[in-house]
Amino acid sequence: MKRKGMWITSVAAALFLALSFGAGAEEGVTDTTIRIGQWGPQTGPAAPWGAVARGTGVYFQMINDEGGINGRKIDYRMFDDAYNPARTIAGVKELQEGVGIFGWASGVGTAPGLAVKDYLMDRKIPWVGPAAGSLHWISPPQKHLFAVYPLYYSEAQILTKYAVADLGMKKVAIAYQNDDYGKNGVAGAEKELEKHGMKLVAQVPVEMADTDMRPHVMQFRKSEADVVLLWVTPTHAVRIIGTAAAMQYQPRWMTTSTCSDFPLMMAISKGLFKGVIAATFGELPDSTSPLMVNYRKAFDKYAAKEERWGLFFYAGIGFVEPMVEAMRRSGRNLTRERFVAEMEGLRNFQGILGPIDFAPFDMNDPYSRQGQKAVFLVECLDGGGYKQLTDWVEPD
Amino acid sequence: MTDFLQMIASGIAVGSSYALMGLAMVIIYKTSEVVNFAQGEMALLSTFLTYMVLEFHGVPYYMAFPGALLFAVFLGCFLEFAVLRRAKQPNVLGMIIITIGLEMILMGFVSWKFGADPKTMPFPIGAYESVALGDVFVSSLEVLTFVTAISLMIVLFLFFRFSKLGVAMKATQQNSMAARLMGIKTKRILMITWGISSLVGCTAGLLIAPTTMHPFMMWDPMLKGFAAAVMGGMTSLPGAVFGAYLIGIIENLFGGYISIEFKSVVAFFIIVLVLCVKPSGLFARHFVKKV
Repeated sequence: MKRKGMWITSVAAALFLALSFGAGAEEGVTDTTIRIGQWGPQTGPAAPWGAVARGTGVYFQMINDEGGINGRKIDYRMFDDAYNPARTIAGVKELQEGVGIFGWASGVGTAPGLAVKDYLMDRKIPWVGPAAGSLHWISPPQKHLFAVYPLYYSEAQILTKYAVADLGMKKVAIAYQNDDYGKNGVAGAEKELEKHGMKLVAQVPVEMADTDMRPHVMQFRKSEADVVLLWVTPTHAVRIIGTAAAMQYQPRWMTTSTCSDFPLMMAISKGLFKGVIAATFGELPDSTSPLMVNYRKAFDKYAAKEERWGLFFYAGIGFVEPMVEAMRRSGRNLTRERFVAEMEGLRNFQGILGPIDFAPFDMNDPYSRQGQKAVFLVECLDGGGYKQLTDWVEPD
Repeated sequence: MTDFLQMIASGIAVGSSYALMGLAMVIIYKTSEVVNFAQGEMALLSTFLTYMVLEFHGVPYYMAFPGALLFAVFLGCFLEFAVLRRAKQPNVLGMIIITIGLEMILMGFVSWKFGADPKTMPFPIGAYESVALGDVFVSSLEVLTFVTAISLMIVLFLFFRFSKLGVAMKATQQNSMAARLMGIKTKRILMITWGISSLVGCTAGLLIAPTTMHPFMMWDPMLKGFAAAVMGGMTSLPGAVFGAYLIGIIENLFGGYISIEFKSVVAFFIIVLVLCVKPSGLFARHFVKKV
């Protein structure tokens, strides 16, 4: 009995000592490093978007080589979740509980993000810039979750408004991926059309596994839509446009930022993407702004040989710029509390995306956690060039 | 009426690629009773290598495509010889599991070598050029796929029915011991089967790639081809082709008139239905082993 008592005391003492030493520093932060995590599909059907996580990696490498953030290097831990929410949550837990992560950067996809949202928020772990424009990040708003990617919902509103008010289109239809991403698009388009006393003439769901788009195109043709919004993956967008061309049905096509990587879209559509109008959220790939030139240099220096300087690669930089800025402003004494306060202090922050604003946390104001609100519209030109159609636009 | 005809035409068009995959699966099943789940990815590898020589090495079409078919035959024979034949105490289930393993390895290789960005295969005829039959449109590529599928079916059917090698293949499936006693080199027969099957699969891959090309492009056609083959009874070549067109047409009509959301799963619902009513498939004359 006595022995047992001794054991318990010594274990308790050891635990106490271990905990008291750890209490000084924030989880994932040491004297010389800050540990940041990210997931992203490097394999599987969503792998083209995996460039986001690699873009972030190159950005962090550049920062580390320039001396890090307030004397600390970023220890970047990225893993492949293949866009499979079960793997996202497993990987996040493994890193969070295994090595300890200060905060999570970006991360592709609505479904993978949703799988880990509660886990991260319950533990008050900061997460900045999910690479998906879902309403779920901000409704309801979360103290530790900062959305950067403009809402798909807003993109749909802005595109629809442009189609109806500027181009004078009368019949609007939408092809949407049958999940949260697609449905956000439908909701936005419906909302905008309501203002003009109109309705969608067709809304056609597309499943991820579908490869034959003829039935979908048939529905649009039947509805006689003169403009069709494409809220689908790049591959599906191309197949829909191609199938429609083969059926000699040619409405005006519009699409989301997800399909606004025009050089890629032109290459896989063999030129059929010309004339498509898309919303986009960041500088164009050939931009000569000082920041873009700088990042381009980092890309040349650190990125793998096969890597392409595409929208999603440098979006991986843009989504985490505010995070880096807030860590810088936090100074040497980096804690999660301080970091969140600095994030909230970002006003009119300008990186390579649109202007980004956050505000002190307000349960009733989702926009206190939606950094970028504006997008602009571009039209695809020959050779994958961009023609800018509007300035930065915010939804009304 | 135009819509209805267009849906039928579209169903036949998409059915052709299912038919090719279905044929490929039936060929292997006919001789070894193994369902080859690596079928799609074998075609994938041949297709991507063809893309590589066309796009990056400037090889002309008339060399690249026959080269691809030759490579496909070699790949099929090689996999049979190097992997399946090595299985200890082979039984059908074990073999099927091996093909699933191969599927993952090939897919991994293609994803690693070529990356995940979608691509398009250069092709002599435009992927989205169409011919009009009245008000109904079919793309020229679809016509080509249709013709290919039907001619391959006929050639294979005649081959199995009348050629010595074809008969030997059938014998191997029905009773490999007896076949061996009759002087048929059953191992070699199996290897050739894999080669032919891989060739048919590769044809499907080459015809799909001008419109859809990424590491996952063969999943849907392979599964639908398998569904078609099951429907046709797994051993009947015309059965698989008929099943494939039926699935293609039903999918399109279902998508057009009932629900586009469940279009992709309707194929599998049909299989369940067929298997309930006629468990050996619509066209099966399954050889029943007598004890």
